[in-house]
Amino acid sequence: MLIALFASLALQPPIPTEAPEIVAALTQDVVEIREDFSGTELIIFGATSGLTLEDEIVVVLRGPDQDIRVMEKRRNFGIWMNSAPAEFTQVPSYYAIASSRPIELIADSAALARYNIGLDHLLRTAQPNEIGTMSGLEQVDGSAPRELPPMDQDDLETLAPYREAIMRTATRDALFAEASTGVEILNGGLFVAHMALPPRTPIGEYTAEFYLFRNGRAVDSSVSPMEVRKAGLERIIYEFAHQAPIMYGLFCVALAVLFGWGANAIFSRRG
Amino acid sequence: MQIYLPIAEMSVSIFLLLGLGTGVGFLSGMFGVGGGFLMTPMLMFIGIPPAVAVSTEANQIVASSASGALAHWRRQTLDVKMGVLLLVGGTAGSIFGVQLFAILTGLGQIDLIISLSYVGFLGIIGGLMLVESARAVMRRNQPAAPGATTDLRRKRHWIDVLPFKTRFRRSRLYISVIPPIVIGFFVGTLAAIMGVGGGFVMVPAMIYILRMPTNVVVGTSLFQILFVTALTTFLQATQNHTVDIVLAILLIVGGVIGAQFGARAGRHVKAEELRMALALMVLAVCVKLGWDLVVTPADLFSILPVGGEAH
Repeated sequence: MLIALFASLALQPPIPTEAPEIVAALTQDVVEIREDFSGTELIIFGATSGLTLEDEIVVVLRGPDQDIRVMEKRRNFGIWMNSAPAEFTQVPSYYAIASSRPIELIADSAALARYNIGLDHLLRTAQPNEIGTMSGLEQVDGSAPRELPPMDQDDLETLAPYREAIMRTATRDALFAEASTGVEILNGGLFVAHMALPPRTPIGEYTAEFYLFRNGRAVDSSVSPMEVRKAGLERIIYEFAHQAPIMYGLFCVALAVLFGWGANAIFSRRG
Repeated sequence: MQIYLPIAEMSVSIFLLLGLGTGVGFLSGMFGVGGGFLMTPMLMFIGIPPAVAVSTEANQIVASSASGALAHWRRQTLDVKMGVLLLVGGTAGSIFGVQLFAILTGLGQIDLIISLSYVGFLGIIGGLMLVESARAVMRRNQPAAPGATTDLRRKRHWIDVLPFKTRFRRSRLYISVIPPIVIGFFVGTLAAIMGVGGGFVMVPAMIYILRMPTNVVVGTSLFQILFVTALTTFLQATQNHTVDIVLAILLIVGGVIGAQFGARAGRHVKAEELRMALALMVLAVCVKLGWDLVVTPADLFSILPVGGEAH
């Protein structure tokens, strides 16, 4: 069916006056994590209509959001302690961008911010109140409690190292990634995007967003859902541990005792 | 070959885990310690979340201590009465420790508390054992002052004045039941917080505080550790969902094999030298962890999930 779709699109000559459109199909909308999972590559095919030479394609794959707390180590009495926590809400557990050109050449920062594209625009919602009170940093407006604080310059500066820390950690585990050549534009308005899912790929509901950029503006976009889930034995064990924790706990202990007894029986017979 | 761990939610080399299990199992069989004080920091070092490392390590120690305790049971080097008393304290300590662990995880300070506990206990115990065993070795090599050892043994000790005395036939002791219960509680708490069986605290406590004969110390310690870690595993599995059975099985398979060879190797070494080697190993881990606390960390920031849960 997909091939038929491609074929019909390929036959259409690209006419600049036609309303630009982007559609995509995931080769797999469920990624299964089994016991031998050590990362995988996701290949996404898509088609556009009305594609011109100066058009660019951006694909964003976003994992389930999570709330995280970042703490800075400070030296107290000679030892390094976690202190000055700051909380970041709705941070994607996985975030990858693939584009047909380096993203900064496709659109300027303001435009990317408007569409919420790019690592720079990810970590916007922090709670600077907490960092102000707990770190001993001077608070901007100590008396008045701020409701959903607008990001003023001080907060941005204070939180900058925290953002960098999140970026550093996630990039190291390949959970945040930017591939400036991850999208390949083929003939006839077709494209293919390659995204890497690392060994630590989190479980949950993902969204794949597709953008067609022209002159620094997104002229069309579409979204496809995707799911990453445990499968096979991994899924059985995970569900066992979470749905029947008492049985699971007893099972773990019993198995360990059995192993210990078995080893002893084998070795004492021989010795 | 990589294997995906369902609870830790990451994939790790299967041979790395088997190798770690065997190596630590060998030491554990040799010294009669669970080996948790080596394994838990190593698991964290390879990237296993601390909560999963601590809980799963408790599960592994169940297997290695069951294997070891059975071996000692056959050789009749296990004081069941003493073990049961230690266990009474240990059960309470384990329940207390699991609660404390959850609170500290929520505060984001669990790593620091784990490291500080390690440095403190390993430092004190390793130091004391090293001094004592070095003296014992020197005494044996120059038997000039034969009266010294027996005097020390016979001297009245503060534990001799405590009430509720009872006889421990296999240990050839007549002492109060209070010290074993208190020691058990203390070790149970450590087991839950530090992901250790507590053998490295228990063995010296039994030798130097309870003054049990060295030959029953290891078996009795393993007996108590077996039950305390079984309880800890169960509590961590039900309360925190942090026991990874796949990780545990890999460590167990390596561990039980290593422990059997270790126990054999240990029989050919003199008790004083065994204690001295254990002391040196304990001090080495202590120095390493202490150094990590003081030296400027590579990354000043740590990232934790809100609410402290691993999921």
